[in-house]
Amino acid sequence: MMHILIELAVMPLVAFTIGMFMVLMMRKIAAKIQRRVGPPLLQPLYDIVKLYAKKTQSSHGLLHDIGIVMAVGGYIAAETMLPVPGMNGIADKAGLLTLAYVTMIPSLGLALGVGQCANPNGSIGIARALTAMLAYDIPFVVIIFGASWFYGSNNLIEVIAAQQAGGIASWGVTKMPLLAIAGLFTLYAMLGKQPFEIYVAPAEIATGPMVEMGGKHLGGLFVMQCFQLFTASAVYVSMFLGGGENWLFFILKLFAVVAIPMSMAFVFPRYRTEDVLAVVWRWPMVLGLAGVWLVMH
Amino acid sequence: MNALDLLLSLSALMLLAAFLFGQTRVYPWLAGILFTGQLVLLAGSDLPMAAGVGLEIFGQQVGWQLDGFGRYFALITIGAALASNVYMGGEWGERYQADGHSLRWLHAALAGNVLAMLLLLSSKDLIAFFIGWELTSWAGFLLMAQGGERALRAALRYVPYAMGGAMAVLGGLVLTLSWTGTLDLLELSRVMSTLGNGQLALLLALFAIGFSIKMGLLPFHLWQAPAYAEAAGPGTAFLGAISARMGLFALGILLVKLMTLSRVADLAFIDGLFTARDLLAWVAALTIVLPTFTALKQNDARYLLAWHGIGQGGYMLLGIVMGDATGSAGGLLHVFNYATYQAALVLAVFAVMHRTGTADLNSLGGLVTRMPLTFLVMLLGIIGLAGLPPMNGFVSKWLVYRSLMVEGRPLLFLMTVIGTLGTILSVYKLIHNTFLGQLRAEHEHIREAPWSMTVPMLALVILAFVTGVAPGLALSWVAEAQAALGLPVLAYTLGGIESPRGSLDMLWIVGVLFAGFGIGALLFYGAGGRSKRVHQLDNYAGGHFLSADVRYHYSDHFYAGLMHRIGPLYRGSFTWLESAVASATDLAASLMQAWYRQAVPALTLLVAAVLGLGWMVWR
Repeated sequence: MMHILIELAVMPLVAFTIGMFMVLMMRKIAAKIQRRVGPPLLQPLYDIVKLYAKKTQSSHGLLHDIGIVMAVGGYIAAETMLPVPGMNGIADKAGLLTLAYVTMIPSLGLALGVGQCANPNGSIGIARALTAMLAYDIPFVVIIFGASWFYGSNNLIEVIAAQQAGGIASWGVTKMPLLAIAGLFTLYAMLGKQPFEIYVAPAEIATGPMVEMGGKHLGGLFVMQCFQLFTASAVYVSMFLGGGENWLFFILKLFAVVAIPMSMAFVFPRYRTEDVLAVVWRWPMVLGLAGVWLVMH
Repeated sequence: MNALDLLLSLSALMLLAAFLFGQTRVYPWLAGILFTGQLVLLAGSDLPMAAGVGLEIFGQQVGWQLDGFGRYFALITIGAALASNVYMGGEWGERYQADGHSLRWLHAALAGNVLAMLLLLSSKDLIAFFIGWELTSWAGFLLMAQGGERALRAALRYVPYAMGGAMAVLGGLVLTLSWTGTLDLLELSRVMSTLGNGQLALLLALFAIGFSIKMGLLPFHLWQAPAYAEAAGPGTAFLGAISARMGLFALGILLVKLMTLSRVADLAFIDGLFTARDLLAWVAALTIVLPTFTALKQNDARYLLAWHGIGQGGYMLLGIVMGDATGSAGGLLHVFNYATYQAALVLAVFAVMHRTGTADLNSLGGLVTRMPLTFLVMLLGIIGLAGLPPMNGFVSKWLVYRSLMVEGRPLLFLMTVIGTLGTILSVYKLIHNTFLGQLRAEHEHIREAPWSMTVPMLALVILAFVTGVAPGLALSWVAEAQAALGLPVLAYTLGGIESPRGSLDMLWIVGVLFAGFGIGALLFYGAGGRSKRVHQLDNYAGGHFLSADVRYHYSDHFYAGLMHRIGPLYRGSFTWLESAVASATDLAASLMQAWYRQAVPALTLLVAAVLGLGWMVWR
């Protein structure tokens, strides 16, 4: 019991730390593409501390605060369902599908908090974010189905063990290449960077959900983003890249998975909402369904 | 007098009491006590509960007996009626009467529905079943028609559907008797599956059409949303929670107990590729998706919920049609889960209507600060309806998903998830447009709904939460229903199910979730500077100053970008189909009338008489 309680405490901390460095990597990549120097090593941490410590902290009501609590708290819970090297948390009690649904809770929290702020730009942002979720979650569940069918389990511990048993030859990416490509495409859309950043859209809707966020509220969203980057990449690594044999390989894989879409993102402009739907329902969807067909036959 | 006799007598007594003094303040208390008594009696009795009395009609024994399957639905029925009864027992009922409606008739209609449903659920043979079926239909009509002109018009649309369904069921009943020689359900469960494929297919078509109409399955669903949405508040909650599920109950008996799912799977349209069972699964899947996306477009909160009610029925049928322990448990559990949060949501919407006078999603907003308890009910309710943890809706949907994954049905699985995602979008619009965003100036002085309304709503969502954290509590009833129907029984734990291929333990999941919220709260409130509460109008408005008379609540055409893409898919095909059938029937009736009235009636009569006599002689 003590053992599992320690895991439950450590797993979110590790996820947050890795996520913070992912944010740094993302900014560094953007800087390189734009021929800038980019931020220093601890800039993400400075940003969070600065936002929490700001003197002016405005709240639009209890639900505005609770929304942020749900956004951060939901991810803290989700991290305990995602196995990392040496720690399984409660992954055996909540499979991949449950994890997918638990990660919707932070989004719901954010949506409630933004709604309470009574700013139409925020509400439009949430409407767009939910539409984006409808876009990428449909191929995402097709991929989850294919992977679960292939491994005969929805339990991530089993899925990782099955891949690690036979080395790279038994990784998901080797066994189910179509699903892996579709997965990467979906992950890209899920991260919400260009060209998929319809719900932030600073020039159109003044950063959408963030429009009324400042201080701790924005700091909470920053923390949420760190968790989100870790979660999305760790799910991908667990399904297709054999999970983490040890921490070094695990971290390398995680960063590689985030680096691929981010290297493309910053050279794109932004899609319109209907174009996000069209592109995500076309390519990863067709690849995903073809991948499922191959896996099942 | 045994337990079932007592149960039915109590129900009949309540109907009588409602007729006699349903308009008084005493009746809701009496009804509350009687409903609670019925619940205790139902829960505490040994199964099967057989009625002491029976009839004989045309040489056929007619009797009543309640097994685990019937009891499961009966518990939900009485629970929903109890919540509705408390809700209309206070201020809501007084306003209803003051507006010129008859509270006596509303109470009587509710009590009548409960009695009719209990008779249906405990039927032992097809005659008792048909009696219960018809009583349920007409009692349902009575409840739908309460609440004014629009309610009556919507209820009248149900009548041709109900009559068509009844004719189909009656036809099936007559054919069953002539082919098997019995109408006893136990006897039929032995002999019906031995009928030939052609006979079985015809019976399936007739019964399934009749039952699908009540359940609102595609393509017979058009009547349901307006009929339920326009009814009087607590009536809408009761109808939405359980009434349509009588169709599911009947389909469960037909498909699993009488015909057996394996025999239904023998009826192939394309050999080995597409069977009657696949057809049913696809009807269920389409019933999930299409009505859900119709709900997404609604601008009236009542209609939005009523359309979701149709969609949620699809999960239940799909689970049962899958037929394995997990899927069928999911389908059956969803009946209970859905009843808890749907009733709560409908009651919350009517609480908002009670205070503001409208359910129009473009005329509300910002009510969270004025009606916080009702907001809490709606929040927990929509989490349930959307099927997210920690509410019970997640568990039942998870069981259905898992069954589809294990059985290898990717497209059906995809449909169920599309339905869930569509629901998330739709319910966010519901709560956003009602409770979030700008508070309108005319709602500045609105108060929370009275306790008589908030208590039943809160009780329902607490039930939905508790059975989400510990689904084993409700799964014990489900397991009993599965056993009674002859389905494989789910091995469950208090927290969900345990399996090496993917477990679900809600006790841990919810525990960790709330621990996460706790840490999130600690970080937010414990760390950093103190936040200052600012007025709603003190926000970023592009350099302008806002005032209460400027409307800036984003509500209309909420998912504009999505509708750009999927808007052209809304073609109104089912409405077109309905009006085409209505026109064709109208034309046929006119032709018959013209023939009979104008083309020599005496000759028509003579020909009919001669043909009739000839047929009798020939037989």
